[in-house]
Amino acid sequence: MTIARRWRGLPIIVAFAGAVLAAFLVLSQVTIRTDMSEFLPPGRTPVARLMLQQFRSGAATSMVMLAVEGAPPAALARISRSMTAALDRSHLFMFVSDGDASLVGSDTEQVLLRYRYLLSPAVTPQAFSVPALHADMGRLLRGLESSAAPLVSQFGLVDPPGAFLALLRQWIGASQVRSVDGVWFAPHRDRALIVLRSRAQGMDLEGQQRAQAAIEAAFANADPGGAHLLSAGPAVFAREAADTMRGDVTMLSIASTVLLAALLFWRFRSVWVLLLVAVPVTLGIAAAALAVQVLFGFVHGVAIGFGVTMLGITLDYPVLLVGHRKLAEPAADTLRRIGQAFRLAVCSAALGLTGMLFTGIPGLSQLGCFSVVGLVVAAGVTRWLLPHLIVAADLAPVSAGDPAHLLRVEHLRAWRGWVAAVCVAAVAGLVAAGGPRWQTNLAALSPVPPEAMNLDAALRRELGAPDTVLMGLVQGASVQDVLQQEEDLVPTIDALVSRNVLAGAELAARYLPSARTQLARRAMLPDAAALSARVAQAQTGLPFRPSAFQPFVDAVAASRALPPLLSADVAAPLFRARIDALLYSHDGVHYGLITPIELHDPAAFAAALRRSNGRFVDMADEMNRLVADYTGTAWRWFAIGGASALAVIAAGLRSPRRVLAVAAAILAALLTTVAILTAIGTELSLIQVVSLQLVAGVGLDYALFFARRQLDQEERARTLRTLVTCNAMTVVTFGVLALCRTPLLRQIGLTVAIGAVLALVFAFLFAGVLPRDSQEECG
Amino acid sequence: MLGILWTPLRAAGASLPPIDALMQALAGVPARRADFIEIKTIAALSEPITATGALIYRRPDYLAKITAAPHAEQLVVDGDQLTLTEGTEASHVIALDSHPRLRALVDAVRGTLSGNLASLRRQYTVTMTGSLTAWRLDLTPIEAGVASLIRLIAIEGTGTTLRTVRTVQANGDESRMTINPEP
Repeated sequence: MTIARRWRGLPIIVAFAGAVLAAFLVLSQVTIRTDMSEFLPPGRTPVARLMLQQFRSGAATSMVMLAVEGAPPAALARISRSMTAALDRSHLFMFVSDGDASLVGSDTEQVLLRYRYLLSPAVTPQAFSVPALHADMGRLLRGLESSAAPLVSQFGLVDPPGAFLALLRQWIGASQVRSVDGVWFAPHRDRALIVLRSRAQGMDLEGQQRAQAAIEAAFANADPGGAHLLSAGPAVFAREAADTMRGDVTMLSIASTVLLAALLFWRFRSVWVLLLVAVPVTLGIAAAALAVQVLFGFVHGVAIGFGVTMLGITLDYPVLLVGHRKLAEPAADTLRRIGQAFRLAVCSAALGLTGMLFTGIPGLSQLGCFSVVGLVVAAGVTRWLLPHLIVAADLAPVSAGDPAHLLRVEHLRAWRGWVAAVCVAAVAGLVAAGGPRWQTNLAALSPVPPEAMNLDAALRRELGAPDTVLMGLVQGASVQDVLQQEEDLVPTIDALVSRNVLAGAELAARYLPSARTQLARRAMLPDAAALSARVAQAQTGLPFRPSAFQPFVDAVAASRALPPLLSADVAAPLFRARIDALLYSHDGVHYGLITPIELHDPAAFAAALRRSNGRFVDMADEMNRLVADYTGTAWRWFAIGGASALAVIAAGLRSPRRVLAVAAAILAALLTTVAILTAIGTELSLIQVVSLQLVAGVGLDYALFFARRQLDQEERARTLRTLVTCNAMTVVTFGVLALCRTPLLRQIGLTVAIGAVLALVFAFLFAGVLPRDSQEECG
Repeated sequence: MLGILWTPLRAAGASLPPIDALMQALAGVPARRADFIEIKTIAALSEPITATGALIYRRPDYLAKITAAPHAEQLVVDGDQLTLTEGTEASHVIALDSHPRLRALVDAVRGTLSGNLASLRRQYTVTMTGSLTAWRLDLTPIEAGVASLIRLIAIEGTGTTLRTVRTVQANGDESRMTINPEP
């Protein structure tokens, strides 16, 4: 390379460096979020919004379930205890619980003791009558005479009516897990269980990473031997998905860059082309990320991952420009030959993608915004900046290709009738198979692998944790309203339990009665003088000292001065955790969850709830309906996008035959892709629909360039070689995507890679013209 | 049975620290049976409660306290399971693992009878005074939860025989159980 040529390349270096700097500045400044829930729509009904909000930031999201297995039970119990103690000391967790013993001696026990006469169902007017107290004291005496005396004297003397014990029974009744050495075990296998809740929110990835590091350190320090640790829960999933996605994106960027660079270098034998091709796409990415940040306030990791890959398509633009240039040709001449096809391709692709902006799914809207802005900016840079750089460095393909070879290839177009027949057969096969299979289950889009979901379900079952799919819901204007409604529902639920419709139900009012109920109980408490008199009378004939029940009289007097315990005042971690998992508020509406345990007859449960002002929610169904809802809207907007793209093409080409040829090529590519995906067992979801739009976009590039009024053989050869290069770039980029671990990205990759190849084949066959001599030969 | 209860301390124990020698000797007794008289002094009651009955122990972790008066009651601890039967009422079965405070109470006596010093030291600070022929073990709970219930358990014995078990609760209530090996 001579010094003179190096000087000619200087503008390219400057442009490249400028573009990279711009992209670096933008990407280091934007807020990137990786939480999948941000990708999903906000929900149209209040219930749907609640579900999503709970999914996003509810208390349940910071719940982590750990299991230790693979060692004898005694060793597992020891590891579990050691981990629990270490995690408790770390202060990263609101609570860490590995057994029922956790309630004993906890802050929650203190709160329950203090508020027993407001919270306990054992508080009735009769409970403080002389006969009831006398009976209680008799029982107490029996207790003191028995071997249980130490326990009886600890709680019995301060609470003859047993209000505190009634509360404890309610708390312990909720979990009926097997215990080994005081540690929770799965019922049917040797697996120690620990439940914890991080202080960090479930979707706070840095906080979750710290929590995970603490968990792993606690396990390693517990001398685990051959035992191994399993973890599940929304927070764990979010972190794992983010890790996987980060790994995928890194892998993708490196692999695609290396492969694309190799491909371009092989085609153009010039480092300058490599740098040049990177300029529009890099500036496009910078502009796109900036636009999304400004419009949405953050950029979703998936939108970046997919968006950057989608903008890989804009690598076509500089390649089309350089690939069509003859050596020493002024930029204006090249542009005159490809200008119209280029403009049409960019406008129609941009319009087609605009549909995504309006789907109402934030992730897709971001992706649409990212793609459109990036595409337009990259095209603008290609059109107005690149020609100067190309001419300065005098870049052009090494050769346009051998015309004889070209003709042989073009003769293949004689087979287009047959290929069309194959297309028709594929579509007929698709129709015969009952059309494409649609994926309606939201879980299929989840970045969480099914094994992790299964582990989560298993641990929940083993811990006796309530159902999170089928549940009851009451809603009200305030927490108190919700708690009162729940209290009104309790008799109904108890009746269902006695009919074996379900084994039990968790609801907040069981742990924290409404202020109304607490005040009513408080009003039942006699004043100190009256109670002292009744206690004295009740002691008649029993060997208690006169002062024996003074602590009880004092406790009742103190309770009479207590304000009701309100949800907002509960600070004790176990207590907080119980009610936070059952009470929610969103948009000023408060909700109480009623989570059934061992629900045998969902229909009966649903009917009973509806009769008493409650609501039955099938979470899975609700989520799927949500997606179906948005899919409908998305389809409408895709259709509008497609129609406007077609309108632009019709206006630009002004030839019904050529419009038909272009449309036929793209339609054939799309339908055949769907047929192939269906044949290999893929269920179509919104993701495939989006990917097909991309296929339509690249198909437009190909078809419009093939459909240009042909100038000469040399130009046709240049077009063919350039489009094959473009296609190879797309297939490489999306082929890499198809190797990802994130199911979402993998599906996109597969769809686009198949579609792009088909688009090139059909565009070549249908949109191009047959060489004149071959038309004569074939008659 | 008598012979077992009165087994003299083995000479080999002499070379060990006294507490280890004592534990080793206690561990050598496979089974015991004795009568007891328990006197409970409870602040809330104007008079002490006296209970009588029998104790049965089988190595390593079976312990039964069968109370005849003032009310018939059977308290049986076998492994992790505690069964309490009052009179003719249905039994209560409790897993000790889920009730660390109960477990601590049970283990004080059971750990001593089986000579399991490691088990005792998990729950209590153990100090021994006296000699192997007339000894006293003071058990002070380590864990705060247990300490909120029990202040001290003092066990006195001669040779491999337990003579008294005195339990002082955190609230000052006290129980003193005197054990008489069956004649």
